[in-house]
Amino acid sequence: MATRVGIVGIGHTRFGNSSEYDLGDLLAYAATDCLQDAGFLERRKEIDQVFVANMASGMFCHQTAVASAMISKMDMEPVPAELIENGPASGASAIKVGTMAVASGMADVVLVVGGEIMRKVTGWSATDIVATMLHTEAEYNMGLTLPGFGGMFTRMYMEKYGLTERDLALVAVKDHENGAKNKYAHVQLPCKIEAIADGPEANVVNQYIAEPLRMYSTCPVTDGAAAVLLVNMDAPIAKEFKKKPVRIAGVASATDTHCVHNRQDPLKLEAVRIAGEKAYQMAGMGPKDIDFAELHDAFVILELAISEEIGLFERGKAYLAVRKGETKIDGRLPINPSGGLKSKGHPVGGTGVSQVVELVRQLRGEAEPGRQVKDPKVGMSVNFGGFGNNVVAVICAKE
Amino acid sequence: MIDFSMYDVKAPKIQAYKCEGCGEIFYPAPMICAKCGARRDPVTGKDWSTFDLEGPCTLLTWTRVWNLPEGYTKKFLQFGIVQFENGLKASGRVEVAEPKTGMKLTATVEEADERPGKPVNVFVFQ
Repeated sequence: MATRVGIVGIGHTRFGNSSEYDLGDLLAYAATDCLQDAGFLERRKEIDQVFVANMASGMFCHQTAVASAMISKMDMEPVPAELIENGPASGASAIKVGTMAVASGMADVVLVVGGEIMRKVTGWSATDIVATMLHTEAEYNMGLTLPGFGGMFTRMYMEKYGLTERDLALVAVKDHENGAKNKYAHVQLPCKIEAIADGPEANVVNQYIAEPLRMYSTCPVTDGAAAVLLVNMDAPIAKEFKKKPVRIAGVASATDTHCVHNRQDPLKLEAVRIAGEKAYQMAGMGPKDIDFAELHDAFVILELAISEEIGLFERGKAYLAVRKGETKIDGRLPINPSGGLKSKGHPVGGTGVSQVVELVRQLRGEAEPGRQVKDPKVGMSVNFGGFGNNVVAVICAKE
Repeated sequence: MIDFSMYDVKAPKIQAYKCEGCGEIFYPAPMICAKCGARRDPVTGKDWSTFDLEGPCTLLTWTRVWNLPEGYTKKFLQFGIVQFENGLKASGRVEVAEPKTGMKLTATVEEADERPGKPVNVFVFQ
């Protein structure tokens, strides 16, 4: 990429239950936060392009065209604005499209906002709405859901590599330890391994959701929004922001079969591997350059499997690194310092943007005490759409 | 007594697809043959044939789901991915007391009506 694209502003709502609010308001809150961070709120009409990421506002909120709604709430007309939808990877897809807009020369300043309000409907309904991204005839109609696929994937991984339910609980303990210190996280509570795996009441506290996945192996249903402001770092306007840019060194995506059963080896997440490889190639980097990562742990097994697919650990060995504490905040390679989807939450259309906000917070050194990675230079995020059929990887670097 | 057979009520089926050009088989239906590139016209079905996907299969993985979506009244449902003898794979419901990866099952098709709208055909692996 000839043009250098940087992030000069970030915004984030407190994740959790925002069901009494309007989605446009939530998106506008994160966007305003972001523009204030960049010192560009008063000049917001000079933004060349807005991309809003959202997965299913039509179903969750009975509301469509939310990009237009947000623009009007922020008094930003006539700035062009469009919606980007790629399931739970909508957020990182919008960042990818924003980066392409800047790199193409069509825009110098792009605002990317991602968000979702999922809790206007019941948990059962939310599970159903998210499941509509599965293959209609061959998966959704069978009654399958995303946790169902998470459970089947976890069983295959356990039987092949020796992972145990306790290992899954260790990932959750690590994520909650980080999330408890994150002011934006949905579940700001640490949890102990005794409570969810080792103690006599663990089976009650940590019930099965989709065996062998339990409640503490699964992310909550969350509302929230996040935003980033992208800029052409080589344009004169790049010097007019309050914050120094964090460079988007690599961004790439890849797809895989819609039906999970049609994969040659359903344990391989090919779209993750290819998106990761393409992002590394674009950045001129490799797994050894990554100081920390934000990985899409909608089910904690995915944190392990994704970290292997992008080369951070050998295949089938990531859980051994968790046992040794290597992925903790003070470990060799911190993973999900934000608390991940498990603790921070997963407002589907907003997650990819939220992950990149966390990369920027860490690279700026702005994370809360106790969960700031020590002097990171490069961070990577992976945003996982469908059950791995449309995945986006982003690499951010400190300039 | 009413003889319902006079209404020609058919057992529910799920179909797989065969490209007559190269012989490759698929489930679910593709629009283009991944092997020879032949186009499938879903209206005419020209140069493609279909066959019922059912019978002996092997369980590759499974789960027992306790948080079923709205409309489902059962406490839990079991799901699995199986491989048929012709190599095709499919996802569906597993109805055996103690599922085990690698076990031999038989795929049948039933109508399910938990969700709103018309009933749908689902695989049941027993």
